[in-house]
Amino acid sequence: MARPAVILVGADKGGVGKTTVARTLIDYFGAHQTPTRAFDTESPRGTLKRFHPELTEVVDVTSVSDQMKIFDTLGSAEAKVTVIDVRAGLLSSTLQALTDIGFLESAKKGQITFAVFHILGSSIASLEEIAETARVVGDANYFLVKNFINNTTFFEWDPATYNSYFKKIKGAEEITIPKLNEMAYEQVEVASVPFVSFVGNKGPKGEPANYSFVLRGYVRHWLGNVWGEFDRVKLVDLVSPKMESNVRQVAG
Amino acid sequence: MSFQSSVTIVASPRQRVGKTLLARLLADFHLQEGRPVATFDLNAGERTLAQFLPERTTVATIRDINGQMALFDRLIADENTTKVIDLGHESFESFFSVAHQIGFVDEARQRSVAVAILFTVTPDQTSIEAYRNLRSRFAGATLAPVHNEIFGPAQHRDKYRLAGGGPGMVRLPVLAPGLRRYIDTPPFSFADLNMGDAVRMPLDAHIEVQRWLRRIYLEFRELDLRILLADLQASIRFKT
Repeated sequence: MARPAVILVGADKGGVGKTTVARTLIDYFGAHQTPTRAFDTESPRGTLKRFHPELTEVVDVTSVSDQMKIFDTLGSAEAKVTVIDVRAGLLSSTLQALTDIGFLESAKKGQITFAVFHILGSSIASLEEIAETARVVGDANYFLVKNFINNTTFFEWDPATYNSYFKKIKGAEEITIPKLNEMAYEQVEVASVPFVSFVGNKGPKGEPANYSFVLRGYVRHWLGNVWGEFDRVKLVDLVSPKMESNVRQVAG
Repeated sequence: MSFQSSVTIVASPRQRVGKTLLARLLADFHLQEGRPVATFDLNAGERTLAQFLPERTTVATIRDINGQMALFDRLIADENTTKVIDLGHESFESFFSVAHQIGFVDEARQRSVAVAILFTVTPDQTSIEAYRNLRSRFAGATLAPVHNEIFGPAQHRDKYRLAGGGPGMVRLPVLAPGLRRYIDTPPFSFADLNMGDAVRMPLDAHIEVQRWLRRIYLEFRELDLRILLADLQASIRFKT
């Protein structure tokens, strides 16, 4: 039985594109034939659930019963990878809860693969957040994600300040999500389908759709770049060490 | 795949090398062959192609996303229309970089639409580089160098290697001096059999233009065969 993997996607504030990153992760594992499930903590709305209804369950990560739903099923669930989209501002408290239930302890012992995708906002506050989460996470695989999807002039920090925080986390890796054309992004939103379905010109139920070829092309190109970043940090090896990681073809 | 369902892009990073004339000739050739034709004018400034083919020409732009959608989405749609693009030199780089990024040639091939690029050659380094670049970026397209013989006999063959070692360049012969004024004043169509009446062309001029046209059309037919051949080769390679 392969070791279950938990990926936490979080940020200290809203609007930095957590859910977008979670969606690219789900698509990525899907393309690698890795069974994946997802939890959306943005109850009751659930943006992630809108795009991946079959895989996603909306939960309240602070409630004990929902914590059981997520963590007690890690070993028994069919999905090897669990992606948790943590609502804005809940990253620290979620990590605290994970410490309390001994989850981080089992991750440390190697019974569970644990990774954190920390999506960075543009303000300095999110840098201080890094320091705080780093303290809790310790040995987890820590990815700092610079999300440029909606904005090209996002990061205007002093590199020295940034690096001083960045270095605090042992083995932290940086991931860059490139910009996607606004209209292409918007159309995927409107269609409410996974990026892969949009590229493959398919609707929510797999039926043929009629998206603009140009927009599909832009999304395919962009998704290829994002997955390139995931390849670079060897994400597939991380969650399932024995898997072949040469699936490179986006649908279509 | 052949000209029947194709997108031909007439391109060069240089201006005043005969792109629009070539686009007109190609569009009129298709009309003469009885194929439905749509042309796209991607020139800033004067809309020469639109003046000669007003009913068939769409003035297009790729500067913004709306223009790109209007253009590319139509290029791969309605497969039974032959499409010719007159790509102005100022749009050369942006057109091909968008086409490359969105995977235009592959998508077209999936829909059985052949993509051909007619590249007017000049001996300058910019053009040679641009040509080489197209070859590596658009392996799925038929890239045909065109020698406009008005620039003299030099062939630059060594600098413009042909993909797949095909039968050489497409030649655009020179029209006898003095006849340009007949064909360069709109309205004018090479496909119109009575073109003499339209511009009061003398009979000998008419005969000379027809002779010139026949030579060019022969080149186009050869190009059509090349597209077919490239497609056959690709499908054989695919099967083995």
